[in-house]
Amino acid sequence: MTPSASYETTDAIWRALASILDPEFGISIVDLGLIYSVERSGPDVRVIMTLTTPTCPSGAWICDGARAAVQQLPGVENVRLGLVFEPQWTPQMLSARAQHELGCGAEHGR
Amino acid sequence: MTAPSSPTAIGSPFSSAPSPRCETGASPLTAASAPRPVSLPGPSWLAAQGRLPLAFMILALGWLAAATAMTALAPATLALPHAAPAAVMLAHAWVLGVFVTVAVGAIYQIAPVALSTTMWSERCGWAHLWLHTIAVPGMIVSFARWDMALLGHFGALFALGVGLFGLNTWKTVRRCGARDVVALSLVLSAAWLCLTVVLGLAFAANRFWHFIPLDPLALLRAHAHVGLIGFFVTLLQGVTFRLVPMFTLAEVRDWRPVRVGLGLSQFGLLGLAPALAWNRGYVAMVCASLVLAGLVTSGWALFDTLSTRRKRHLDPGIRAFLAGGIVMIVAAAAGLLLIFPATPWDSVSRGFNGMVYAVLVLLGGLFPLIAGMLCKVVPFLTWMRAYGPKVGRVPTPAAGALTHPRLETWAFRTHAAAIAVLIVGVATQNLTLLRVGAWTLALGVVLILADMAGVLKHLRPAPTQTK
Repeated sequence: MTPSASYETTDAIWRALASILDPEFGISIVDLGLIYSVERSGPDVRVIMTLTTPTCPSGAWICDGARAAVQQLPGVENVRLGLVFEPQWTPQMLSARAQHELGCGAEHGR
Repeated sequence: MTAPSSPTAIGSPFSSAPSPRCETGASPLTAASAPRPVSLPGPSWLAAQGRLPLAFMILALGWLAAATAMTALAPATLALPHAAPAAVMLAHAWVLGVFVTVAVGAIYQIAPVALSTTMWSERCGWAHLWLHTIAVPGMIVSFARWDMALLGHFGALFALGVGLFGLNTWKTVRRCGARDVVALSLVLSAAWLCLTVVLGLAFAANRFWHFIPLDPLALLRAHAHVGLIGFFVTLLQGVTFRLVPMFTLAEVRDWRPVRVGLGLSQFGLLGLAPALAWNRGYVAMVCASLVLAGLVTSGWALFDTLSTRRKRHLDPGIRAFLAGGIVMIVAAAAGLLLIFPATPWDSVSRGFNGMVYAVLVLLGGLFPLIAGMLCKVVPFLTWMRAYGPKVGRVPTPAAGALTHPRLETWAFRTHAAAIAVLIVGVATQNLTLLRVGAWTLALGVVLILADMAGVLKHLRPAPTQTK
């Protein structure tokens, strides 16, 4: 096991999570800032994520999809997905790309 | 792929700019510091929950086509006094068939997510759907034949459904323990809807037994306002502040004006309904002023909320929703003029100007509010059923990608033009304008229906559904 191999593995997890779009905004859940952390220990992966609001109606699908996206990666056997609301999601967690897509980037004066 | 020997946490390599999470290249949440994860209801629950509101929405689309056809085929109905049987029938086709069906379906969807719980009884919800499906056409036929006995029978079925809905909403809110303004608006709106139906049945029964010694026209107005303000306005004054922030990434900075807006409308309606029933002009005027103040306060709170939004571009549905809210405030001011004692616009003496108010409220204000909601809720419910189970497994589109925003934009523009023509047509009793307005309205509705058909098409099981 080399550090670069470790990075690539976690990188693949982030990439898999980034393929999931929020159904309302059409923006990756990674760019929305919903993924707080990804930890990997051997075949076990732990993802800690949040939702834009605890009452997000598609929350269960997004969480289930995040788990499925990681689970189907090679070498991953167990996925533990933790849904947390502390720290609470805020729009400041949007990536620059997400802000641009939503029209609230610096060029839009916000 | 070789796994690392120790836990690894890194920030996302895909975000274009650092977020707080990415600044240090590591997660702020380690295993030790992370708060205890919470659990959401499972996907199977969501799939089940989505069916009931979607069924209501599809029923509402059918009624939207029917009510529009009734309006377009008989535009002269809008030139009748507002208590004329044909006008009453048309109003109920729009209100019960379209507006109540969408609103109730939306509540079955919104209440569980807004309150973070499940509905108390989904079986009650399905029973309500069937009762509603049977009762509303029966009521419309009863109005068409002006058969009050038949109306009583179908009205009783409708009341039973609404009773189940009220019980379900109350039990759901009570069980989850929520005491905020959104929960309050859900319970209050359900209670007002129950009261509206009971009053309607009582007025129908009064035709036979005359146990309410009041002017039937005044009772009709009281009944209409209890439903309009009590159910629709109350509901919108609460759930709007859960939904709009969700759709626009905004935040409600101050809940006080939301509570004040709701409170003013409630106190206003508590006085307005009896004042209308007993023809107490000045009391009705004061109470209607309270309702208007409540609407303005809620509107101001919504404006303030929207100023914090991160999603700058608003969808056509949201824009229509906001436009409908503005027209409702204008309509409330127009209503105030109508009940001003001895006013030349007084609907009691003239009888016809009440129709201008009715068209403004129902088609000018409530229609875009409800249709805007429809354009947001139907794609989302369709997405939940068609694509929700596929998230993370195959690429899935956003719910908004199921719609045609340009079609929606033109639908609402056409609708706005139709309302302008209809208002002038009703005010001047000009049948040509009424025909033009009604057919323009129909064109707008056809565009909405085409858009919704395109959305619902995604429900068809097909291996190539993904985009």
